[in-house]
Amino acid sequence: MTESLKLTVEDERDDLAVIHTDGYINNQGGEEIARVCYELIEKGHKKLLLNLSRTKIVNSIGISILIEIIEKMLEIEGKLAFCSLTPTIQKTFHIMGLAQYASIYPDQEEALKELSS
Amino acid sequence: MAAERKVSQADWRKIFSLNGRVADDQQVLRPLLADWCANHGLEAALYAEDNGDYKLAVQSGERSFPDVLPASLPEGGDDQRLDLPSAVLLYSGAALDGEDSDLLLLAAGLRISNLKRQIQEQSFQAKFRGVELEGLYEVGLAIGSTLDIDELSEEVLLRAIALLDARLGALYLLEEDDVYHLQRSIGGQARETLAANEDGLDELLNGDGHGPKDLVADARYLLAVPVENDSQARGLLVVADKESRTGVGPFPVTDRRTLSLFANQAAIALENAKLHKLALEKERLEREMELAAEIQKRLLPKIMPEIPGFEVVGWNRPARQIGGDYFDLPGLGADHLGLVVGDVTGKGMPAALLVSTLHSALRVLLDRMEVGPELIERLNRHIYESSSSNKFITMLLATLDLHTNRLVYLNAGHNPGLLLRKNGESCQLASAGLPLGLLPQGQYGSAYLDLEEGDLVCLYSDGITECESPEEEEFGLERLIGLLEDHRESPLFEIIDAIDRITTDFAKGRPQGDDQTLILLRRTRAAA
Repeated sequence: MTESLKLTVEDERDDLAVIHTDGYINNQGGEEIARVCYELIEKGHKKLLLNLSRTKIVNSIGISILIEIIEKMLEIEGKLAFCSLTPTIQKTFHIMGLAQYASIYPDQEEALKELSS
Repeated sequence: MAAERKVSQADWRKIFSLNGRVADDQQVLRPLLADWCANHGLEAALYAEDNGDYKLAVQSGERSFPDVLPASLPEGGDDQRLDLPSAVLLYSGAALDGEDSDLLLLAAGLRISNLKRQIQEQSFQAKFRGVELEGLYEVGLAIGSTLDIDELSEEVLLRAIALLDARLGALYLLEEDDVYHLQRSIGGQARETLAANEDGLDELLNGDGHGPKDLVADARYLLAVPVENDSQARGLLVVADKESRTGVGPFPVTDRRTLSLFANQAAIALENAKLHKLALEKERLEREMELAAEIQKRLLPKIMPEIPGFEVVGWNRPARQIGGDYFDLPGLGADHLGLVVGDVTGKGMPAALLVSTLHSALRVLLDRMEVGPELIERLNRHIYESSSSNKFITMLLATLDLHTNRLVYLNAGHNPGLLLRKNGESCQLASAGLPLGLLPQGQYGSAYLDLEEGDLVCLYSDGITECESPEEEEFGLERLIGLLEDHRESPLFEIIDAIDRITTDFAKGRPQGDDQTLILLRRTRAAA
């Protein structure tokens, strides 16, 4: 059995929503994240926070999908942010350039404080 | 025909801004192509060059065009092709007499977008190589910073899977039963065990991409490399199903090299962890031995008894940290002194344990009953019951009556003690019974000697007489007797020093083979 990524959306308030990921962000996981993000965008959310506290692993396909979501958010003048990354994933995001276009926060509390202001 | 619509300056700007996104290509180029086609009364599709093929990029109208441009157009069909730089226009309708600037601009737009896409892809790949190097470096660091095999397995697996874009992966360790046991899997289920000689394993390791059936649940493509130390198989690192945006596929050859790098790191980590575990185990054993040695030392008298009219001293030197020799000088009431020398067969921990048994049993028995054959018989039964069949103890037990100067002794299979009279005569305190613990029932006889002033008694273990020179010659009883005679008048501690020094010199650096124990007793003056 392949373990698939589990997603939960919480804290939908105003135009901000938090998406919690649990598992491997690969092709399947990335597409699932994109689907949920685009749904939230449809509903009018312009700020999305991805909380990766329960994700330990992201592959290049997952990263390219995340980049697409970031591009989409830039297009609608919204904002995609990440929080609670493992040191490995944080380093990967920096090397891959995601950190240039998306904010990365140490934890959800800090992220919400920044994104709400 | 509609008024001819030329490509505007704003269109030029849009075309030069194309950024490699297919959706944008469509949005910008499709209406321009549609207008151009309308102006020329055609239906057409633009194909862009991609790795030697021409792929459908944008089209006008509703008719369907093939996704990839056919190498040759069907004879007698309506379709015609017009070759452009890095692009081909496939069209139906009136024949064109050549390219025009608007068409060239559309082709250039496709080219710009394609090149941007390629640059983005290459830049992404280049950055990802950075992630790969970083990953290997970090795994190396992790190996240096932890010896927890579970933690390390996860670290290696997480990175190998992520960097190879695998759907899942597993790490197996080869155990002593010649079976690979699953240490950790990430991303999905893998089989718990895999026999080292299982069908398909060799093929998998040689890169056939499939391997043993059901190794990884519903995987279509496998890549596995051995985890080896000094060419010894230690484990197996397996990844399954290379992901792409369109599904899963086989792993390219270069991935094997990358996976091997991770396997090498895993091998180092495993070796480190194993060595560390062994070192810890050794340290623990050493600590226990030290503790045992400490306990054993406490069994031996620390202070020699002071008895008017006599000198007595005991000495013990174990061959290893702990030993199987024993001596004791217990006071027995106000007017008797006990002298015990014992030797358990074997050395080290098993012998030391039996020494403890002897010590406690003897102390209890000496508290409760007179020294005599019955005490030894009971001690024998106790030792017999509490030791394994190949373990026994030789022991010489004597009691000295401080008033009568009579030495009563019982020898259970031990080296005969020595008595050197002041007048030059000597005799031995010979054995009269089997070693303790050999048979459940033993019969022991006692004998006695009356000590005169200046008489010297020596009880010893065979570690002294059987001490060997490098030529494998034994020190022997004669040398011991000679040594005692030479030092007959010396203080007892000097005799001990002499025996210590002379046997050490005799061995000439040859390691001490057996525990060495001595008790010396001398009557110094006539009884009061």
